[in-house]
Amino acid sequence: MVSDFFYPNFGGVENHIYLLSQCLIKLGHKVVVLTHAYGNRSGVRYMTGGLKVYYVPWKPFLMQNTLPTFYGTLPIIRTILIREQISLVHGHQAFSTLCHEALMHARTMGYKFTLADVSQAICVSHTSKENTVLRSGLPPEKVYVIPNAVDTAMFKPAAERPSGNEIVIVVISRLVYRKGADLLVEVIPEVCRMYPNVRFIVGGDGPKRVRLEEMREKHSLQDRVEMLGAVPHAQVRSVLISGHIFLNSSLTEAFCIAILEAASCGLLTVSTRVGGVPEVLPDDMIVLAEPDPTDMVQAIKKAISILPMIDPQDMHNRMKKLYDWHDVAKRTEIVYDRALKCSNQSLLERLSRYLACGAWAGKLFCLVMIIDFLLWRLLQLWKPAEDIEVVPDIVLSHDEDRGISQDFQAFNKDHSLR
Amino acid sequence: MVESCISNKIYSYKHECKWPNSEAADVHNIIVRKSRSKGFLVFFSALLILANVILLFLIKDKSIAVVFWSFIWDVLIVKLLLRKPVEKESVVVMPALGVQLETHYVSGKIIRRFVPIDKILKPVLLECVTPVTCYWSLSLIIQEEAELMLVFKELRPPVKMLVPIWKALCAATGSEGSLNTFTDDGPCC
Repeated sequence: MVSDFFYPNFGGVENHIYLLSQCLIKLGHKVVVLTHAYGNRSGVRYMTGGLKVYYVPWKPFLMQNTLPTFYGTLPIIRTILIREQISLVHGHQAFSTLCHEALMHARTMGYKFTLADVSQAICVSHTSKENTVLRSGLPPEKVYVIPNAVDTAMFKPAAERPSGNEIVIVVISRLVYRKGADLLVEVIPEVCRMYPNVRFIVGGDGPKRVRLEEMREKHSLQDRVEMLGAVPHAQVRSVLISGHIFLNSSLTEAFCIAILEAASCGLLTVSTRVGGVPEVLPDDMIVLAEPDPTDMVQAIKKAISILPMIDPQDMHNRMKKLYDWHDVAKRTEIVYDRALKCSNQSLLERLSRYLACGAWAGKLFCLVMIIDFLLWRLLQLWKPAEDIEVVPDIVLSHDEDRGISQDFQAFNKDHSLR
Repeated sequence: MVESCISNKIYSYKHECKWPNSEAADVHNIIVRKSRSKGFLVFFSALLILANVILLFLIKDKSIAVVFWSFIWDVLIVKLLLRKPVEKESVVVMPALGVQLETHYVSGKIIRRFVPIDKILKPVLLECVTPVTCYWSLSLIIQEEAELMLVFKELRPPVKMLVPIWKALCAATGSEGSLNTFTDDGPCC
């Protein structure tokens, strides 16, 4: 799995990679994650289940992305692919430069992989697939839709709903432009004015937080709007179960795991009708609105009116059946199998495909790939693959009493005395 | 008495047991195999550059200063590339006393570092990641020190040579060696 976005960063992509990797490990595969270093966190780390993460010491330069040097990452990626005996490369997130570079180098080295020049691509919603097919020119048969899932074991509704006359609306998101923080600034005072018994809880931090604080001051809503600041992911559930309605005001969204988490906790969701959001929840669990303040206020009004008919436990049970990471892992496995079956295209065939991309772009791509190919051959001469040692598979033991000799069996098999 | 020997293109590993009757000293050597090709290549390219410059001086009438400077430059490059060649690095394990780490240079210089046995908390095999490559290294966790002590400072032997040394160190320090230990990132990231 290659991406610029991974733990210790928190977000949809990071969670997706982590949970998908855990499920694939349970299915018996070996998963290695490759990402860039985060501050001091650099080198090899191990996560739950023996998930090995390489934090390559390349500095991120813009919005958590590594500097796209084109060929700079070729040596380390080649070394890691050979030493871990990787058979398939899965790149995550279309905006990750590390992901694209890794896919390019893996392609040159003849690996199969998923995400113009990929064997298969996976999108998280049908809207996302439409977008991808239109923009990248990939044939639709090669694009699969596997939605994200939610950890329903972690997101359970409260045993008892928060009682009282108050209706609590929860907002948890990064307070940035893309997540519609500006819409919130318009919507919250209006709703507070219309419904005296409504309270807001806003969790999350970001550049737009200042605007929300200002709005609070301006309309004297200090007792009606509670600002929690950044909420660690482990505490998201406890914030969610303190509310009745979840409000999502994103301006663009491929999928939106946040509303899945809210529905799993038994909250009714009000969201903007953008991107893949309409595909996520059944119609009775969500009220959609255009990304416009008046429309959103209407939607909240409707949500408050249907609130008494919602049963949180029932919602949670339905979510359990609808979304499951193990299911996602199994579907991803099918895509991997198809990718591995794809025949290897030789360099010349691929070059002829690139030329068709565009007048100048095509020739540029060809040049880039030819140079990549030459550099790879050069690396093969300088540091042959046989010299790169294969890492032994580490088997997690729960029994610490095993002696040294048993653990080294795997090791000694591969590295016999010459 | 040589007990075992592993070798590859660059390094060869020899395990000697001095005084086999007592449990005194156990010596593990990593010897750099002489590669004449590198030295040859460096000298040849230096000669080529010098010849080029002399030719330029004779034919195109460049000043003698250019020849002089390029000669100095050549000497510096040769010194840089062939500087301090290491002949071998050894680990002498004395079970009751400690571990001595030695670096033998071609010039005859030997640098020794001794670590008493009770200062060693654990020997660890780590994977080090650099921007261009990834390799294994053997280090010691020392009591009251924030940094790990590298057993092989100059050389990077392959992991199959490091494993028997690591096992011997574990046995000497009495720490349970198991590949399941989750390792931290090394000192070279």
